[in-house]
Amino acid sequence: MRGIFMKNEQERDLLKTRLASAASLPKDVVLGAAVVSVLGNHEVCIENYRGIVEYTECLIRVQTREQQIRLHGRGLQIEYYTNDEMKITGKICSIEFCE
Amino acid sequence: MIQLLIRYLRGYVKIRVEGYSSERFLNLCSYHRIYIWGLKPCGQAYELYMDLRGVRKIRPIVRKTHTRIHITGRYGFPFFLHRYRKRKLFFLGILLCIGLLYGYSGRIWDIHFGGNESWTDETLMEFLNTKNIRPGMPKKEVDCPQIVTDIRQQYNDIVWVSASVEGSLLKIQIKENEDTFIEEENTATDEKPDAKQQTDAATETPTDLVASEDGVITDMITRRGVPMVHIGDSVQKGEVLVSGRIEICNDANEVIGYRYEISDADVFADTTMEYTDSVPVTYAQKQYNQKKQRWAAFVQIGSYRIAVGFQKHTFSKWESYCLERRLKLGENFYLPVLYGYSCVKSYDTIEKRYTEKQLQAQLSSNFTRFSKDLKEKGIQIRSNSVKIHLDEDSASASGTLYLNQRIAEPADTEILEIERNELE
Repeated sequence: MRGIFMKNEQERDLLKTRLASAASLPKDVVLGAAVVSVLGNHEVCIENYRGIVEYTECLIRVQTREQQIRLHGRGLQIEYYTNDEMKITGKICSIEFCE
Repeated sequence: MIQLLIRYLRGYVKIRVEGYSSERFLNLCSYHRIYIWGLKPCGQAYELYMDLRGVRKIRPIVRKTHTRIHITGRYGFPFFLHRYRKRKLFFLGILLCIGLLYGYSGRIWDIHFGGNESWTDETLMEFLNTKNIRPGMPKKEVDCPQIVTDIRQQYNDIVWVSASVEGSLLKIQIKENEDTFIEEENTATDEKPDAKQQTDAATETPTDLVASEDGVITDMITRRGVPMVHIGDSVQKGEVLVSGRIEICNDANEVIGYRYEISDADVFADTTMEYTDSVPVTYAQKQYNQKKQRWAAFVQIGSYRIAVGFQKHTFSKWESYCLERRLKLGENFYLPVLYGYSCVKSYDTIEKRYTEKQLQAQLSSNFTRFSKDLKEKGIQIRSNSVKIHLDEDSASASGTLYLNQRIAEPADTEILEIERNELE
């Protein structure tokens, strides 16, 4: 049963991706994907997220619709935090996407 | 920058969030669209900035997430007002400042003139004063079109005027008619018969042209009238050159009448002019005594003058000079405050003698200036025999100038009556 749903979900995502490509629609809107803009290694802007899961000076975990984004670094600070967008500054060492 | 200003005006606080699920507090804040900035972890807690509107909405969130918040800093204008609420004079001062600023910005504080060359700022300023336009007057009383009309009416040679109010500055732009001065000069210096003729034409009196100097005619162009002399003729001063009376003859070549006209001609003649000039050989030189000086500085407010220093003296020969400056705001708003200094200097005179070179240079420069004046009047100098004579007690230049100039000047024509033969 789960397998069927999984298959359906995968198919639905594939369909959405194709539709977005065909209609030239922005994928972050259609698929609800997170938008991560990185400026050098000291500034990251994240859009389309659900919320903060964990926040320390050296690790920030942000929950998006499908996965978690992990930011490792030093002296991490959130410049601003709104419902749509957040901006993180500090020395960023790595960005990971975890299921 | 604008965002910072808005934050300051609205007021904001720095808060410290502690508890088990501080992250949830943050997420709920963002969900309720409470703007958060400057978020940083501080041990087990978070510190963040939040505006006053957000603070009023966070009580339910705090209760829900079981967190504790401490306000660690208050910033912005609302807190500033609250902190200094007891300083009534301070607020009164601010209000007074705003009021004065508002009041004073409704007045003209300076008048700027642009484009004027022959009419000085001071002259125009004086004229505007007579029309009650002066610095310090209310802005709403300034009638720009009226100023323009007044200036145009008063000054004929100002061909274009624009008046506009920019902030507290009254800007007056002027365009002068540059041709006017040349015309005026011409009418004043040039003795052209044309110009004279125009004035005569108005009165319609017939005129001859007579010689204004003795000389030999070199060139003659007659436009109206009967020429009485020819090129090469010697003429005396007052002799008729062109007659305004034209004879009308019948077939038998008898004069049966006269037609009178205003003569018009260019008559040039070679003339001579005697030139003499002398300059003094000696001059009095002033020798200032540096030790015999009296200085005084002063400040004058209205009619009250405060001076430092004293100027009583018993000098036999002295000169006094004074420097005054007036305080002004901007360009033309003068305040009734003067400052400056005055000085009395004692001197002795010594009679000194010019050297020969100096005398020659002085006489030469005088002659050059004289020649230049003649040229400006349209008189041509053909040659000169001017020589400089230097004696023990006199220095002079004398000689004859050979000129070529217009010699025609108008004079009334004699009106003749013809006695008619009534035999018929």
